[in-house]
Amino acid sequence: MSTLPATRWERLVYRVRYFLLDREHLGRDILVLFALAGWALALPHYGSEFVVSMALTCLMYIALSTSWALFCGTTRYLSLATAAFFGIGAYTGALFLEDWGWLAVIVAGAGVAALVALVMGSLVLHLRGTYFAVLTFGMTELIRHAVSYWEKQVTGTVGRVLVVVPERDTVYLTMLALAVAAVAVSIVVRRTRFGLGLMGIGADEQRAQTLGVNTRVAKTGGFALTAAFAGAVGAAMSVRWTYIDPATVFNPFIGFQTVLIALIGGAATLWGPLIAAIVFSLLAESLRLQAPQLYLMTLGLLLILSVLFLPGGLASLRWDTLRQWRDDVTDWWRERRDPKKRSKKKAAAT
Amino acid sequence: MSLGSWLELIASGLITGGIYALVGLGLNLQYGLMRILNIAHGEFLMVGAFLTWMAQESLGISPLLMLPVSFALLMGVGMLVHRLTFRRLARTSPNLDIFEARGLMVAFGLMFLVQNFAQAVWGGDLRGYDFMTDPVHLGGAQFAANKLLLLALSLAISAALIGVLRQTLLGKGVRALMQSPTGAQLVGIDTERLHPLMFGVGLGLSGVAGCLLSMAYTISPAMGEPYTVTALIVITLGGFGSMGGALAGGLALGVIEALGMHFTNPSLKPLLSYAVFIGVLLWKPNGLFNKR
Repeated sequence: MSTLPATRWERLVYRVRYFLLDREHLGRDILVLFALAGWALALPHYGSEFVVSMALTCLMYIALSTSWALFCGTTRYLSLATAAFFGIGAYTGALFLEDWGWLAVIVAGAGVAALVALVMGSLVLHLRGTYFAVLTFGMTELIRHAVSYWEKQVTGTVGRVLVVVPERDTVYLTMLALAVAAVAVSIVVRRTRFGLGLMGIGADEQRAQTLGVNTRVAKTGGFALTAAFAGAVGAAMSVRWTYIDPATVFNPFIGFQTVLIALIGGAATLWGPLIAAIVFSLLAESLRLQAPQLYLMTLGLLLILSVLFLPGGLASLRWDTLRQWRDDVTDWWRERRDPKKRSKKKAAAT
Repeated sequence: MSLGSWLELIASGLITGGIYALVGLGLNLQYGLMRILNIAHGEFLMVGAFLTWMAQESLGISPLLMLPVSFALLMGVGMLVHRLTFRRLARTSPNLDIFEARGLMVAFGLMFLVQNFAQAVWGGDLRGYDFMTDPVHLGGAQFAANKLLLLALSLAISAALIGVLRQTLLGKGVRALMQSPTGAQLVGIDTERLHPLMFGVGLGLSGVAGCLLSMAYTISPAMGEPYTVTALIVITLGGFGSMGGALAGGLALGVIEALGMHFTNPSLKPLLSYAVFIGVLLWKPNGLFNKR
C-alpha cells in the first residue's frame, strides 16, 4: 500500500476505487445478479400461472437462505429461528395490511422481526455452537405457542383471513426485489469491514475480538439483518396464502428448509444458497404433490450425504472433488479385494 | 383438593416423567459421550412404538415381549447408523466443535428421513390398542393398570442403566470417556468399540420408551418431535452428561407439567415446558444438578 491519501475526498475516492477494482469477482457477481434478475423480471409476462407460483417459491427461498447464510454461514452461528422471524413478519403484515400501504407493510414486517432479533440476540448470542442452535429453536417454538395461545384465549380466533390482498404481480415483484436485495447486500457486506468482522468471528472469535472487532455489535447486527429479511419475506408471502394461522407461518419446516438449502448449497459461499434454492424449489414442486414423503426423505438423505462427503456445499464442487471421490472408491475397492497389496503400498509410502 | 386427587395428579406427572427420563437418558448417553446431539432421537421412539403396535395388531405378540425385541432392533439400527455416518464424521472433522455442528446436521437429515419413512409406510393416522386397561384403586386414588406398569418399568430400566454404569467395568469405561476422552484412551479404553455400542444403547432406550408409550397412549408418526424437545429439556435440566440428573430432571419435568396443567389450563403446557427450557439454559447452562 502506498501512502494514505490526506483529505477526506481523496480518502473516499481511494476507498471506492479499492472497493471496485481490488476485490475478486465483484464484476462477475454483479453481472450474474443482473442477468438473473432480468430473466426473473420477464417471467410473469410469458410464464403460466404454475410457473410463476413456482418462481415465487424459488425467490422466497433464495431470499431466506441467502440472508441466512449472510450471518450464519460466515459466523458459523447456526440459527434455527428463521421460522420465528418469518411468522412475526407475516403476522405484522396481516395486522397492518388494511390500513397501511403495501410498502409500509413490508417495512413494518422487517422492522418488527429485526427488533425481536435484537432482543433475542442480546440474550443468546454469547452462547456458541449447539447451545445456540437449540436455544433459537426453543425460542421459535415458544413464540409460536405464545401466539397460538394469544389467538385462542385473548382474541378467540384460530387464524386470520386477509381480505385486502394486492395483485399477483405486485407480490411477485416484491419478492424478486427482496431476493435481489438479499444477494446484493451479501455481495456488498462480504467486502466491508462489517462482513470481514463476521468472517473473522467464524474463523476464531477470540482472535477477532483481540484484533479489534466488536464481536457483540457485529453479531447482534448481523442477526438482526437476517431477521429483517425473513420478516419482510414473511409479510410479502402471507398475502399469497390469504389465510394465516400460527401453525402455518411459524412452521419450523420453513426454518429447517432454509438451513438445509443454505448448507447443501454451501453456507460460506455467495452463490451456493441460490443454486440450491433453485434446485430444491424445482424438486419440491415436482415431487411434493405426487409423493410428499419421498421429497422430504430425499431432502434428509441429501443433507446427510452433503455433510459427509461435501462439507463445503454444492458451490465447493470442483473437478478435483470428483477425482478425489473416484480415487477414494478405487482405493476402497482395491483394499476390499486384496488387503495385502494395499498394506504394502501404504508401507512403501511411509 | 383431597389427598386422593393430589396423589393422582403427582402420579400422572411421574408416569409421563418416567418416559421423559428414559428418552432423556438415551439422548444424554449420545451427547455426553460423543457430542452427538441427536435431534432424530424422538423419531426412533416413534419407530419403537409402531413396531410394538404392529406386532400386537398383526401377530398378537404381547407388548411386554416386544420390550427387549424393540431394544435389540433399535440398538442394531443405531450401531448401523453410527457406522455409516458418525464414524466417518468423527474421522474427517478437524475439531470437536465442527464435529458437533456437522453431527447436528446429520441428525436433522435422519429426522426427515425416519419421520417421512414412517409416514409413507404406516400412514398419518392415530393408532392404538388396548392393553391392561382395568382400573386399580390405591389409597383413594384410581389408576389405569397399564400406566402404573409403565411407571414401574421405566423406573426399573432407568435404574438398571444407571446401575450398569456405576457398577460394571463397561460402565466405568463409559464414565471415564465422559470425563476425559483423551485420558480414557490413554489407559486403554477402546473408543472404536464403545462409541457405536453406546450410540446403539441410546437408540435402544428410545425404542423401549416408545414400546412402553404405545401400551397406554395413541401413537402417530408425528409423535417423535415433541419427545425430542422434551429430551433436550430433560438433559438441560439434569446437566449434559449426568445420568442421575437426567432421571431426576425427567421426573421433575413430568410433575411440573402435570401441576402446571392442572392449575392453569392444558393449552399452556407447551408454553410452560419451553419457558422452563429457555429459562434453565439461560440461567444455568450446565444444568440444575451440576455443581461445577
